[in-house]
This record gives sequence, structure tokens and C-alpha cells, in this order.
Amino acid sequence: MPPARLLCRCLPLLAVMLWLGSGLARAQVCVTDDADRQVCLDQPATRVIALSPGATELVFAAGAGEQLVGAVSFSDYPPAAKKLPRVGSYNRLDLEAILALKPDLIVAWQSGNPMEQVERLQTMGVPVYHSEPRRFDDISTTLERLAVLAGTEAVGQGAADSLRSGMDSLRQRYAEAAPVTVFYQVWEEPLMTVNNAHLISEAIEICGGVNVFGELAALAPKISREAVLAKDPEVIIAGGMGEDDPSWLEPWKQFASLRAVQSGNLFFVAPSTLQRPTPQMLAGTRTLCSHLDTVRARD
Amino acid sequence: MISRRAIYSLLMLAALGVLSLLLAVTVGSVSMSLSELSMAVAGRGDPLFGELVFSLRLPRALAAFATGGLLALAGALMQVLLRNPLADPYVLGISGGAAVGALASMLLGLGTAMVSGSAFAGALLSTLLVFGLAQGRGSWTPTRLLLTGVVIAAGWGAVITFMLSLSPADRLPGMLYWLMGDLSYARSPWLAWLVLIPVLVVTLPLGRSLNVLARGPLQAAALGVAVKPLAWLVYGLASLLTAVAVTTAGSVGFVGLIVPHMLRLVLGNDQRLILPASVMAGGALLTIADTLARTMMAPEQLPVGVITALLGVPTFLFLLYRSR
Amino acid sequence: MAILEASNLVVDIPGRAAGQPFSARILPGQRWGVLGPNGAGKSTLLHTLAGLRPPRSGQVSLDGDCLTQLRRRQLAQKLAVVFQERQDSFPATVRETVLIGRHPFLSPWQRETARDLRLANQAMEALSLGLLGDRLVSTLSGGERQRVAIATALTQQPAIWLADEPTNHLDLHHQVAVMELLHRQAEEGAAVFMCLHDLNLAARWCDHLLLLYPDGELCFGPAETMLVPAALERLYDQKLSVGNINGAPVFVPG
Repeated sequence: MPPARLLCRCLPLLAVMLWLGSGLARAQVCVTDDADRQVCLDQPATRVIALSPGATELVFAAGAGEQLVGAVSFSDYPPAAKKLPRVGSYNRLDLEAILALKPDLIVAWQSGNPMEQVERLQTMGVPVYHSEPRRFDDISTTLERLAVLAGTEAVGQGAADSLRSGMDSLRQRYAEAAPVTVFYQVWEEPLMTVNNAHLISEAIEICGGVNVFGELAALAPKISREAVLAKDPEVIIAGGMGEDDPSWLEPWKQFASLRAVQSGNLFFVAPSTLQRPTPQMLAGTRTLCSHLDTVRARD
Repeated sequence: MISRRAIYSLLMLAALGVLSLLLAVTVGSVSMSLSELSMAVAGRGDPLFGELVFSLRLPRALAAFATGGLLALAGALMQVLLRNPLADPYVLGISGGAAVGALASMLLGLGTAMVSGSAFAGALLSTLLVFGLAQGRGSWTPTRLLLTGVVIAAGWGAVITFMLSLSPADRLPGMLYWLMGDLSYARSPWLAWLVLIPVLVVTLPLGRSLNVLARGPLQAAALGVAVKPLAWLVYGLASLLTAVAVTTAGSVGFVGLIVPHMLRLVLGNDQRLILPASVMAGGALLTIADTLARTMMAPEQLPVGVITALLGVPTFLFLLYRSR
Repeated sequence: MAILEASNLVVDIPGRAAGQPFSARILPGQRWGVLGPNGAGKSTLLHTLAGLRPPRSGQVSLDGDCLTQLRRRQLAQKLAVVFQERQDSFPATVRETVLIGRHPFLSPWQRETARDLRLANQAMEALSLGLLGDRLVSTLSGGERQRVAIATALTQQPAIWLADEPTNHLDLHHQVAVMELLHRQAEEGAAVFMCLHDLNLAARWCDHLLLLYPDGELCFGPAETMLVPAALERLYDQKLSVGNINGAPVFVPG
């Protein structure tokens, strides 16, 4: 058969196969969520509701900001999130408002949302993706998984990749750095820190730091000021009540015996950049690493 | 020979109860006109409205009504049992035991069914503990029962505080729910109704004996009341009612203490009237309070205990003032 | 009409040695008065006879049946108790309180009948409480509350009255009225057994007296034989002078 004829015969078949193939690719998107459940949608989500401020950020970062139709109170980043209709607070959801928005995907915060209410949504047939990132890699994979569910792989993959490469370059840079003992203060009253299982501790590790309370059992243990004095860390890093409020560092200045106080190694990191499991943590980790560099330079 | 006033009062309370349920089903974050409501009930119209009515609002309203009824009836019984108008369903430590059970299973990360089951088990354990300790040797007195219960309740309180201090920060809101009471997390209402109706039916013929018991144990015995068996029966029933209420919706405060009081100010002291009236008034109050709690600042959801106090306190003060 | 019998009854007073056993039959129409100083155990004896406290030994029987064999309800249908102290934790009207006397006769699902209401009203009239029917008991004076308690017992239509100081708080007029009421009850066939601290009331109104000594000793019998000054002086540890008014003895300290 002449090539032209072959082509003419095959073209329609090819067209059908291509069309079918892309149609199949567009159907059934499936991922495994952080609760080890399969979440499958017949087609990428177009109406997403996020049940924590962190989840809202992750959805935006995954490129699906346009598909968000509702969020809980205090969802303030990125700025566009402030305009989203509210559906209650993370610990007391307004199920009616959620249902009225007719979502086809809900991104839930596994340990923060009330399980009874989330289960109720699931039994009513709304697909729920449980999010609970514990390590940086989880944040990247969350971005990838959410992007798959929302059909925004291009943006999501890009965000995940840049997060990974950013973290990797930091890891490499500080792999050989001199270790610095760090006390990270997460809250003032009661005095709270984090252990090694926490994301913040991973950030400290990446920057070549050692969390003095890393070995404690609880994820966010409450400790006494005495315990901090006993550990005598080289650096004290604190969050605060707001984005610009280093007041938690003040009470430490009275303890002249602390190395950190004597060397002036008291630093503030804006909580939104380090205390939410989102891509913003890259910026927070960079800040943290530069603080540790300052400490090393002073020695 | 039931007094006309009694019949009118019961009918009015029943009407109030029905109205409160209707209100709860009609009103919510999503506004629904009456025609949309009737279409949803008939199974036609927007399926969203059907879902809202049958999967969200109706179960929640039924749970609220049953919980309010359980607590008010338990409160009325406790007040007669202890011959003390300040008694409420939680004074003998039942809600503390339930909270310890629930919080323990939350700390262990168990599922919702286990949390409910543990709460119920904790409540029953507390009941048996107080019952066993209050028996002692010699005669039972309300004072002895009250003291034992108060001490046990304080003990549970300490255990709760301990568990709260150990728990991770994100679990705290869920735990606080058990201490405040909240119908957003309410379980299925069927257990609550399955307990409320039979217990109410059982207490109705006991009404006059309870009136006599309120005169004092010696006086009651002299008038033919079997005091000890009756007292323990009332204790057991009140504990069961409270255990189921707390398991359904956490420790909702105020209803059990105030509703029987309010009714007594208006209707007098005949338990044969007060007991069924408490069920209906308590149910209506909690249903209305819960409806307000979820719509007043929607989509923000308020805990129902705040609203019951806001509604109950002025009403009670008004009735108290008027009765002087 | 019913007969209450004590057989070798020793009352249980915690911390005190057993007293002398008491054996007697309280017959219809008799009016017994129990006399003794404070703390002798009069109320305890009354409660034991009413079946409200277990005796240390011996037994009490009603029409031949031991009290422990009878159900409370059966007992309450024949025997009424007027207590010395009352608890009023929950407000109730006078009528409601008096009506409670019909409780032993009503089954749980039954409501008070017109007859019950009539009996209660009659009892209230007999105790001059007719106008106070709708008042709350807590708003009444001590004497009025005492009368409410007696009216409640009267509504029970008992065959046997066990009254602990029935004239407490009552003014003279009502003291006499109550004692006359009890006298009439005895004439109609009831047995009346009351603790009295007023010697003269006992002397005037009772036909049988029981003297309870603080050491547990007791003696009883027809009133004339019991009203011996020597015995009474020993009972009250108080010198007494006797007078005579209208043929009845009157005792005065000193």
C-alpha cells in the first residue's frame, strides 16, 4: 500500500486512539493521602474546600487557588485566601456552609479537625483528602498529590521541585557546618518547644543545628525555664504572637549565666514562616540557617 | 382528677417542644424558605436541601432535644434525691467519669465509636464507685451520697486536668468539647431517645412517692414509701440519663440545674407534673439554644453552653422575681 | 381498730447499755403518754414502735404480725406517726402536704380521688387550717406547721397514732384543741401513744402512762398508779409539789 494511503487509513484510528487516550487520562485521578487512604476523583477537582489555614496555603501553592471555594477562619495566606467564603473554624466546622458550596474535594487537617464532623462529610459522599505533613518531603509530596487531584500538575510539580531543590541545597551547604546547640521556643505561656519529630526540628537539623530538647517524647512538650538553663544552648530562637513581635526573647535576658545571652545569640523567626507546614518554611529555614551562621561567625 | 392547670402547662410545653424542633429544621447557615423545606421533606427539589434537612439538621435537632430532656429529667431527679435544689446531674461525678473515659481514648488516638463507648463506660464506672462508697455501714443519707459524689467528681477533675496538660495542643479543642458540651459533634440521637422515653415512663408512677420522699426519709417511710430501694432506683435512673446525655453531647451545663427550678417556680412541686414538664422544657431549651449557637454568627459556630446560659439566666431571674 | 404489741422490746440507743425490756399491748381506745427527761429515749422508742428503727432485741407486732414481716405500705395504712421535727426543703402548699396522708392508700398510677380531697379538707378544718389551704408551708409559723403535721396524720385515718410531742409550738388554745382531737380519736376506736414533756398534759389527758428513766429502767400502767410524786421526782430529778384542780392532779416544780 502506498504510504499516503496507509496514513489516510491510520489517521482516523490514531485520532480516535489519541482522543480516547487523553479522555482516559482525564478520568479517575487517584492519590494516597496522609491517612493511607486512596482518594479517587472521577475528574480533577474544581470546587475545593480547605479545613485549616495551612491546608489553604498548600492548595494555593499547588496551583489550585482558583479552584478553592471555601476556607476556615484565619486562612490569611496568600492574601487571596482572605477573600474566600468562611466555613467555620478548624475545630468547629459549619457543615451546612460546606455542603452549600457543593465541594468535590475537601482537604482536611487530620489531627486538628474534629473527626466526627469530617467523618460525617465522608459518609455524605464528599471526597476527603487528609493532610498531615510531618517532614519536609511530605510537604513536597502533598503539593504533588494535591496538584494531581486538582489537575494542576504543571504548577504543583514545579512548586514541589523548587521546594525540594531549595531544601537540598541548604542541606548540602550546611552538611559540614559546625553543629550549634539550639533551643527553639514555640510558645511563651506555657513555655513550649519541639522534639525531633517536628518539622521545625528538621529545619534546625538542615541548618546544622542540634535541638537540645529533641529527645523528649512529646511532639510539643511543655518545659520549665530551669530545664533550658540546665541545657545551656548556644542559641535561643523564638517565634512570637505576631509576625513582628520578638518580645518572647526579653525574659531570657535576665539569665546572665546562659551562653546564648552572653553572646547575644537571641533570634526571632516570624512564626508563619516556620510554624506552618507549607512552602513558606523554605524562607523560614533560610532565615534560621543565616542566624546559625551568625552564631558560628561570632565564635 | 388532674388539674386543668397541669394539663394546660403540659400541652403548652409540648407545643413549645414541637415548635423548637421545627425551628431547628428550618433555620441554618443556608437559608431555606418554607416551600423549599416542604419540597425537601417530600423528597423533591434541590437534593442539597434534602441533605441539609435529613442528614444534618434533623439528627442534630433530635439529639439536642433528647439531650436537653435527659439532662433536665436527671436534674429534677437528683434534686429530689438529694433534697437539695442546688443539685445538678453532674454533682455526683458522672460527667467527670465520662470525660476521663473520652479523653483517655482520645489521647490513645482511638476512633469516634471508641471515644463514645469509653465515655459511657467512664460514666457507669463513676456511678458504681459513688454507689459503693456511699453505702458504708449504717443508714444512707443524702449528705453522705452528696459528699462522696463531690469528692469523686473532684478526683475526676484532677485526672482531667492532668490529661489536658499531657495532650498535644491540637487535640485540646476536641477535649474541651467534652468539658463544655457541643452538639456539632453529636452522635446519633437514637440511643438518647431509646433511654429517655422508657425512663420517663418508669418515673411517672413514682411521682407521688417522690413527693413524699421529699419530706424526709423518716416521714416517707412512715407514709409507706420503701425509702432505700426508691432512692437507689432514682440514683440509678438519674445516672443512666446523665451518662447517655454526656455520651451524646459532652457535658452541657446549666440545663439540668435550671430547668427543673424554673418549672417549680411556675408549676409548683408535684413531681408528677415536674418530671414530664422538665423533659419537654429541657428539650425545647437546648434545641433553641443549639439552633442559635449554629446560626447566630454563622459560619462561626458557638458552643451551646454559652447560649443556654445567656437564655436561661435572664429567664430564671425573671421568674424568680415574679414569684416573690 | 388495731392492736400494737411490744414483746420484750429493748430499744437500740447507740452507745448505751440495753435498757429494761418493754412488754405491753396498746389497745384501741387507750391513750398512752410517755414521760421522761431529755435524752431518755422517748423518740427512739416511738420510732422503734413505728417500725422505723430496728430494736436491739425483742419485737413489735401489729394485730399479731411482726412489723418486720409487714410491708411499709400495709403498716402505713393502720399506723400514723407525728414527728417532732420536719424537713421542708421544697416548697409545698398546706393542702398538698396534708393530702400526702392519703399516699398509703393510693396505688402508683392512681390519682387522688374526690374522697381523698374531702378527707384532707376535713382534717384541715379540724385543725383550724381551713383558710390556709393554698399557703406555702414554709411561710407558716411553727405552731401552724405543727398543726399541718397533725392534719396529715389525721388524713391517714389511722387505727394507731404515734405522736412525738404533738403539742410542741402550739399555743394554749391549740394545745387543748389537739388533745381534744386525739381524745375523740381514741373514743372512736383509735389507739393513741404519745411522747409528752409536759407532765400536766399527760396527767389530764392520758389513761396509761409509761415512765422512761435515763438508765433504761421503765415502768408503766394506768395513769392513777403512775402519777406518784416520788416516782415522778425520781424521773425528772426535780422536786415537785402537787395540787388538785377539778379532781385532776397538777404538778409544779419546787
